[in-house]
Amino acid sequence: MQCEEVRPRFEAYLDGELARAEQAQLREHVEDCPDCGPEMASLEQLRAAIRQSAPDYRAPEALRSQIRFAIRREAAANTAAASRPLAWLAYAASLLLAVAVGSGGTFLMLGDRQQDSLTAEVMDSHLRSLLATHLTDVASSDQHTVKPWFAGRSDVSPPAVDLAAQGFPLIGGRLDLIAGKPAPALVYKRREHVISIFVLPAARGDIGSTLSRQGYNLRHWDEGDLAFWAVTDAGAAELAEFERVFRSATSS
Amino acid sequence: MAWIAERRRRSRFETVVLPHLDAGYALARWLTRNDADAADVVQEACLRAFRYFDSYREGDPKSWLLRIVRRTCYDWLERNRPSELVPLETEADLEGVVHAAPAAVTDAGALLESRSDLRRLDRLIEELPTPLREAIVLRELHELDYRQIAEVTGVPIGTVMSRLHRARAALRQAWNGKGCR
Repeated sequence: MQCEEVRPRFEAYLDGELARAEQAQLREHVEDCPDCGPEMASLEQLRAAIRQSAPDYRAPEALRSQIRFAIRREAAANTAAASRPLAWLAYAASLLLAVAVGSGGTFLMLGDRQQDSLTAEVMDSHLRSLLATHLTDVASSDQHTVKPWFAGRSDVSPPAVDLAAQGFPLIGGRLDLIAGKPAPALVYKRREHVISIFVLPAARGDIGSTLSRQGYNLRHWDEGDLAFWAVTDAGAAELAEFERVFRSATSS
Repeated sequence: MAWIAERRRRSRFETVVLPHLDAGYALARWLTRNDADAADVVQEACLRAFRYFDSYREGDPKSWLLRIVRRTCYDWLERNRPSELVPLETEADLEGVVHAAPAAVTDAGALLESRSDLRRLDRLIEELPTPLREAIVLRELHELDYRQIAEVTGVPIGTVMSRLHRARAALRQAWNGKGCR
């Protein structure tokens, strides 16, 4: 083995990534070679120094308990959400707008039974993304970045189109769970408002008009074998406009 | 009953994922370079992980959590310190670097000589560009293999190798140039 063949594999050797036979060959060379020996030793010493110098960062005890608490609270909220579809929304709203709630109990809108649970999930999901400031998993206005990101992450390939020219810039995509399954959501902006559009396999009919809950508007339509659910805090007219623009851009 | 299922889900999450909280915190600490920010990021990441827990199947829970922590760190950096996320020059340019002859042998034995030197090495790691820093931290401190690092950082194994190489070359060079000896 020549030094030139061996050198590019030093780090893989050190990292234990070579096949056993190759590992042995390389070790043999390094032991005998007056140039490679010290080079390898130097890399080994760098590793030792890194491991010795690095602080041993550990999660502080307070953080540990905060996280446990936050997860228990989330689990409790999920349980409530499962029994009453809009409870999560109410819970979140109560955190954000406890003062506003005082003005009228109707604000909470607990569990509108007529409502499809999917509607509630879609709304919950949108609201959760706002609360957790987790709008996007992939942040990009480029449809060639957003669309491929979903490949392998979800069964549905969402038609990501940038609608900036029409006043709805694409800001990215996110993977949420809807009805227990990964569901792609595209995220658009309308001035300061966020629009989440969930793309699911088509199953149900259109709801026909805009549904409103606590200032959030929702529209649903089917296109081919996909179902689209758009949620936003922008106005109903703007959401209708969004639907029109999105449909004409994607149904070519 | 929904609450029983949810409780089972939560306790499984606590058993499977939370033991790796220290690893997650360490990664966040290296990426944010700050205790308070690391704590915020890790808390958000754990909540995300819990929400996505249904998407965790089998496999290595540590890598799974680290991937989410890393993603959350990047989102956080994007919002708060976008200047730190300047992309590396094209990764393809690195091909040449990986196969180039290594720099002159450093007197690495000297690295271990004093504690203040070690503290300095620690700072040098912090000064690496984020993609190089995360690669070296995941390899040397979290002791992940190439495949796991690729999984956590979402890049091909070849890129992991070239990033590690660049990180090590930069650290060795900085040590060399420290002018003390």
